[in-house]
Amino acid sequence: MESKTYERLQETLYYEVMDNGLQVYVLPKPTFKKTYATFATKYGSVDNHFRVEGGEETRVPDGIAHFLEHKMFEEPEGDIFATFASNGASANAFTSFDQTVYLFSATENIETNLTTLVDFVQRPYFTDENVEKEKGIIGQEINMYADNPDWRVYFGLIEAMYSKHPVHIDIAGTVESISTITKETLYTCYNSFYHPSNMLLFIVGGVDPEQVFTLIRSNQNTKSYGKQGQIERLFEPEPAEVANKWKECKLAVSMPKCLFGFKEKATGLTGPDAVRRDLTTKLMLDLLFGSSTELYQKLYNEDLISDSFSHEFNSSPQYAFSAVGGDTKDPGRLMERIKEEVSSLLESGFAAKDFERARKKKIGGYLRMLNSPENIAHEFTRYQFRGGDLFEVLPVYESITLEDVNARLREHVAWEQMSVSLVVSP
Amino acid sequence: MTNNGFQHGSVAGIRIHVLPTKAFKTFAISLYAGVPLDENTVTETATLPFVLRRGTASYPETIQFRERLEELYGAGFGFDIYKRGDYQIVQFRMDTINDSFVQSKDSLLAESFAFLGEVITRPLLEDGHFRAAYVNTERETVRKKLEAIVNDKIRYAAERCIEVMCAGEPYRLHPLGQRADLDRITPESLYGTYKNWLDGAIFDLYVVGDTTPEEVEKLVAANFGRGNARSADYESRFTPVQVNEVRTVEERLNVNQGKLNMGLRTSITYGDDRYASTLMYNGILGGYPHSKLFVNVREKASLAYYASSRYDGHKGIGTIQSGIETQNYGKAVDIIRKQLDELKSGNITDLELNQTKAMIRNLLSEIQDSAFEMISFDFNRQLSGKNRSTAELLSQVDGTGVSDVKAAAETFQLDTIYFLTGQKEGE
Repeated sequence: MESKTYERLQETLYYEVMDNGLQVYVLPKPTFKKTYATFATKYGSVDNHFRVEGGEETRVPDGIAHFLEHKMFEEPEGDIFATFASNGASANAFTSFDQTVYLFSATENIETNLTTLVDFVQRPYFTDENVEKEKGIIGQEINMYADNPDWRVYFGLIEAMYSKHPVHIDIAGTVESISTITKETLYTCYNSFYHPSNMLLFIVGGVDPEQVFTLIRSNQNTKSYGKQGQIERLFEPEPAEVANKWKECKLAVSMPKCLFGFKEKATGLTGPDAVRRDLTTKLMLDLLFGSSTELYQKLYNEDLISDSFSHEFNSSPQYAFSAVGGDTKDPGRLMERIKEEVSSLLESGFAAKDFERARKKKIGGYLRMLNSPENIAHEFTRYQFRGGDLFEVLPVYESITLEDVNARLREHVAWEQMSVSLVVSP
Repeated sequence: MTNNGFQHGSVAGIRIHVLPTKAFKTFAISLYAGVPLDENTVTETATLPFVLRRGTASYPETIQFRERLEELYGAGFGFDIYKRGDYQIVQFRMDTINDSFVQSKDSLLAESFAFLGEVITRPLLEDGHFRAAYVNTERETVRKKLEAIVNDKIRYAAERCIEVMCAGEPYRLHPLGQRADLDRITPESLYGTYKNWLDGAIFDLYVVGDTTPEEVEKLVAANFGRGNARSADYESRFTPVQVNEVRTVEERLNVNQGKLNMGLRTSITYGDDRYASTLMYNGILGGYPHSKLFVNVREKASLAYYASSRYDGHKGIGTIQSGIETQNYGKAVDIIRKQLDELKSGNITDLELNQTKAMIRNLLSEIQDSAFEMISFDFNRQLSGKNRSTAELLSQVDGTGVSDVKAAAETFQLDTIYFLTGQKEGE
């Protein structure tokens, strides 16, 4: 067991890599009643084409990572939710583009619940019958998202930007794509991506680190895992330019939804470089589109945007894009005004005082985030899978300069890299 | 002092509740202002916080207002408007970094109080009323929010079910008000509503963080001038409703998935000694993934992705929601009604009972890890007049048996079945 203390955050993190390659992290929060644990695999919806060292190249149906997540909850003796409930734990899971996370939160029986979490994720149980039954449930989940205009406009934007990279495929897949899933394809994915060396266990709360490591160590020692080679994820080359400049989807809405964003040309960033690029970009977007900017207030007063207007930046080593927007009565006019206003900022750059204020806001937001065990666990895992450290964010923020942000502005905001996605009433 | 750790006092017509703790990196501040839910005032009251967040006497322009928050290390500032029983509540929230984590020359708690006090008591005035441009824009903001409810079909169906079920009661009103009222709002009328609100609303101010009641009382006295207002108490406005016949409503919209919602009435509310049994009833019915609704509608019948229930203890209402294929309406209703009957007959296993107890125990124990959760829980006491700590509620839940849950189940009567379904061919 090793540890690292982050003085300014008043936090100490404990960690150990198990013999089978599983990374385990514990962040004790002595004043907390609750313990929150996540067990994550670096495997998400984009990993639909891969080869494990020494194995064959494999292509799997869209939506299978998410399908697998649903099916993990089933055990020979029934639903694992019941086991968690008997021990007072609230359990859940989610699948994103590049990870699948299983989790629980509990205030009692922590060791039992931790064992349940680790064991159920390491014990797949798929049958022809239970796989078929799940298709109805996930079909309804897909239909639920199909009725959600915020989801539709967001995915519309990614589809407009990306033509080859699987990030443009809905995380749950389609009713057709999941219809081809079988227990065999599920086992193939499970055996490729659920090896402990591809996984990370994070525990935050009122726990004793040594006890946790002892428990996990002996749990892992009872299971035999062979060595697993490198997982090679195969992606067709993605063109640098966007697939569509403008994309519309029809769905009954009270007012059109308009989301635009810029597709990053350069890819391949990992580790501290990726962290720095992401933080600089988010700071830049806040200076450009945040609610205290002149641009925001002008558009609000012109009745072109509403409180729903927001911005984000999403990235991985193979893709990176911004997404900005919200409800607007006139998407065409909104985009004209955005171009006018942003073009003049591209000329002038940001002012030093605005930069300092925006940076303060980001630092405050980061510290507030650390109040939440859920956010800590999710963000820590996300950073770690990218080779970054969530707890080293403060010095990065402090080292970003006005020049960095202005340079990022001119690099990221390139009009030819922009797509616009709309949801409008039929 | 109550057994939830809050210390209670009163200054300048505002009840003050402080929980000193070093467990968090921030100071959490909540100011609740409650008024009776009334069709004549609901829309203007809802519009108020939108106008108040546009500008104050010291920060007249919205950009100045928001820059000020960023200077306070991006202090979280926001508000919510919702119903609790037949009251309309406006809740302002601030979440400010504890100074010890940043190099700040001023006390961020004091600066936050100065800011919040100004937002509430010193709005920007021009010619003796609110700035017309702010009122006009924010009136449209409220209109857009009301119109946007239909965009989220799950929420829309839930709201419509309540609207239909409570057609004769104030509770039918949406917390943001009624679209038809918006056109009548003027800078003068809204300022009049504001004066009445400031004088007449019930104000509760909560702080959780590394501070003391004395410090908070001083800050409130210095920053909130409420004149002669005094802290009134919330009064129970609950009257049990007898259901004679189940109302069935079907509405059509262009949806991919049908949304099935049900509303139930109970005579048990938050202050009732049977409240714990009712929490157990809801938990066994549909509060969790081990509950009857999830197991039977989703896992066994494969009809839905979500199937759950909720219990609103301030209104004495239970709700059920699920998203299904439109042609499965009959099947889903039958399965759900069967679960209601099972509970009424006391067909509850020890396993269900114990799992639900463990889940509620977890939920109640977790409250103390979140400043805003602790605040919400204690605010129930202000609303209901019932002083019951999480520890007491926990022991009552633990002592609940099958017969108690069955007795609670007998008080629940199905009132309304609402179904949002797709349009017919050719529509």
